Amino acid sequence: MPESNAPIRFTIPIGPQHPALKEPGHFQFTVDGEVVTSAYVRLGYAHRGIEKAAEQRSWIQNLYLIERICGICSHIHALAYCLAVENLAHVEAPPRAQAIRTVVAELERIHSHFLWIGVSAHEAGFETLFMYSWRDRETVMDLLEGLTGNRVNYSANLLGGVKFDIDQAQADSIRKGLDFLEERTRHYLDVISHDSTFLQRTRGIGVMTSAQAEVMGAVGPTARASNVKRDLRVEAPYAAYKAFPVQMVLDTRGDLEARFEVRLKELFESFRLIRQILDALPEGELAVRLPRRIPAGETVVRLEAPRGEVYYFVKSAGADKPERLKVRTPTICNLTSVIRLAVGHQLADVPMILAGIDPCFSCNDRMVQVRDTKNDSQKLMTWEQLRQHGIDFYRSNGK
Amino acid sequence: MNVLLGIASLLVFPGGLFLLVSGLMYEWADHKLIALLQNRVGPRWFQPFADTLKLLMKEEIIPDGVNSIMFVGLPLMALAGALTAGLYIPLAGLPPTFGFPGDLIVVLYLLSLLTLGIGLAGANTLDRFSLIGATRTLTQVFSYEAPFLLALLGPAMVAGSWQVGKISAYAGSHWLILTQPLGFLVAVIGLMGKLELAPFDAPEAHTEIVAGAMTEYSGRGLALFNLGRAVELVIGLTLVSAFYLGGLSNPLWFLTKTLALLLVLVGIQSLLTRLRIDQTVGLWWRYGVLLVLIQWLIVILFRGF
Repeated sequence: MPESNAPIRFTIPIGPQHPALKEPGHFQFTVDGEVVTSAYVRLGYAHRGIEKAAEQRSWIQNLYLIERICGICSHIHALAYCLAVENLAHVEAPPRAQAIRTVVAELERIHSHFLWIGVSAHEAGFETLFMYSWRDRETVMDLLEGLTGNRVNYSANLLGGVKFDIDQAQADSIRKGLDFLEERTRHYLDVISHDSTFLQRTRGIGVMTSAQAEVMGAVGPTARASNVKRDLRVEAPYAAYKAFPVQMVLDTRGDLEARFEVRLKELFESFRLIRQILDALPEGELAVRLPRRIPAGETVVRLEAPRGEVYYFVKSAGADKPERLKVRTPTICNLTSVIRLAVGHQLADVPMILAGIDPCFSCNDRMVQVRDTKNDSQKLMTWEQLRQHGIDFYRSNGK
Repeated sequence: MNVLLGIASLLVFPGGLFLLVSGLMYEWADHKLIALLQNRVGPRWFQPFADTLKLLMKEEIIPDGVNSIMFVGLPLMALAGALTAGLYIPLAGLPPTFGFPGDLIVVLYLLSLLTLGIGLAGANTLDRFSLIGATRTLTQVFSYEAPFLLALLGPAMVAGSWQVGKISAYAGSHWLILTQPLGFLVAVIGLMGKLELAPFDAPEAHTEIVAGAMTEYSGRGLALFNLGRAVELVIGLTLVSAFYLGGLSNPLWFLTKTLALLLVLVGIQSLLTRLRIDQTVGLWWRYGVLLVLIQWLIVILFRGF
C-alpha cells in the first residue's frame, strides 16, 4: 500500500487544557518518535473583547478595564493607556508621579520575572526551584501591597498622575525587601548557570540567532538573549527612564540558558534603578487635572513590559470615550519563535521553549476565529449580521 | 493451623494488608519530606489513604477503543506482582516468609510486572499522551532494568547465593555499601528509575504528556496502579537496604535503614531537574552499566584471590 510508505503523522495536542499551560492556547506538535517535525498554534480561547468594551466606557472607567488585560503586568498596561491619554490631552504627569510609576513598573518586572523563573523551572521538572522562587516572590508582592494596597491589580495610575505617594517608611521597607531579593537573585543566577542537570535542559536548547530574532520580530528579554538590542526603556525612554537611565542586558548565545540569564541579570538592573529613584525622588505634585473630554487625535505608545514591547494605539474623536483602542502585547510577537524553534527539538524541550518566551495568552488574544467544522466555508459577517445570526440560532434551537 | 498461618501470611503479614498500609505510609513520608525540603507544608498522614479510598469509590471509565479485559486486568496484575514479591523479601526485619534458591531473580521480575503493566496499559489505549508515555515507560524499563539487576547481583556474588534470605543474612554481618559503593549508587538510582521518581519521571512528565501511560485511567485502575507503586517503593527500599546497609535484623533496624534510604531518595528527587528520556537512557547505558561492571570486576578480582 502506498499510504504505509508515507511517514505516520502523530500529533500531540497541547492545550487549550493541558498541565503545561496555565492559560488557554492550542498547540499541535507533529512528532516522529520524540522529535518534533512541525508545529502549529491556535489562539483566541481567552478573547474578551476588551478593545470593543473600551469604546463603550469613559476615559476614566477604562483605566479599570485596561488594568485587567494582564494579570501579571497590569501596571504597564494602565501606564501605557495613561501615557497615551496624556499625549492626546497634551499634558505631562509631574516628575514625582513619573518616578513613582517607574518604581511600580520595576517592582512589577521583579514580580513577573520571579514568577517566570518558577514557571519555567516547573516546566523543566525542577519543582524545588519553582517552590523557592515563588516563596521569594511573595516579598515583592508584599512590597507592592504595602505601596498600593493591592497584590496584583495595583491601580496605581490616574489620568495625569498617580494615586499615592511613597513616604520614607515605605521607601525603607522597599529597600529592605530589595536587599533580600537581590541576595536570592544572586543565588538563583548561580543555580541556573551551574546546576548541571538544569543546564542539560537549557544549554543549547531553542537557539535563536540574532538574525532569526530580527526576522521573527522577537521582543523583550527573548530578543535580548539573542543579542538584539531592543529595550524601549533605553531606545525610547518614557516616564522616569529619561532621568534614570537603565543598562540593556544582552546575551549572545540565544538559547534557553541565555534567556534565563538575561532575565535574572535584568533584575539586578531593576534593583539598582528602584534604589536610585527612591534616593532621588523628585519633589512635587502627584497628579495634574485632565479634561473629561480628550481632544481629538491619534497616538501610539510603546512601553517595555516585563515580557517585551507593549504597543498601544489610541484614537480620540473629542468625546468622553475613546474612538478606538488597539493593544498588542509581547507574547504575540514572540509566539512565532516558539513555533519555529520547536521543530527539530525533543518533545520534552517544547514546554521549556514555550515557557522561554514567558507567554501570556489571555492578554494577547485580540480576536477569536470560529471554525465551521461541517462545511469548510469562510465568511465574514458584519456586526448586524452576527447579531441576527445569534437571534436566529437561539430561536431555531428553541431557547 | 498451618493453612491458617499461610493464609494469614498472604493476607495480613507480610503479604497483603501490611504491605499496602506500609506502602501508603512510605508514600506519605516521601511526599511529606519533599514538601519540607521545598518549603511547603505537605500532606497530612492519611492523605494517601484518603486518595486511594476516593479513587476506589469512583466510577471507572473504560474509554473507547481499548481492550477492556486488559484495561481492567493490567492494574490487578501489576499490584499482584508487587504484592507477591513481598513474600520473598525480609520485610519489617523478619526473615522472608518463603524462599528458594534463585528467588532474587523472581522478585526482580515480579517487580517489573508493575512497569510492564503500566507500559501495556498505556499502549492499550488510543490516547496520544498514553502512547507516548507507554513508549517512554518501556524505553525506561530497558534502560534501568539491567543495571538495577546487575547492582543487586553484586551482593549475591559475595554472599554466594541467589536467595534473598541468604544474601540478607550474609549482609547482616557485612556493610556492603562500604565494599561495593558503586553497586549501591547504581541500585539506589535504579530504584528511582524503577519507581519513576523525579528526576527519572520523563514517562509521566505532566508538563509534556499529562499523566503519561496512565492518562486514561481513573477510579479503581488508577488506585491499583498507585497502590502497586507504593508497595514497590517499600519492597525496593527493603531490598536495597537489606543488601547494602548491613541487613535488616529487627523491625527497628528496618525502620531506621529504610527511612534513611528514603531520605537519600528524597534528596535526589528535590535536588535535580527532570531528565529527558534520551538523557535517562544515556545515563544508564553510559555510566550505570559501566559502574556496575567495574564493581563486578572488583568483586571478582577480590574473590579470585
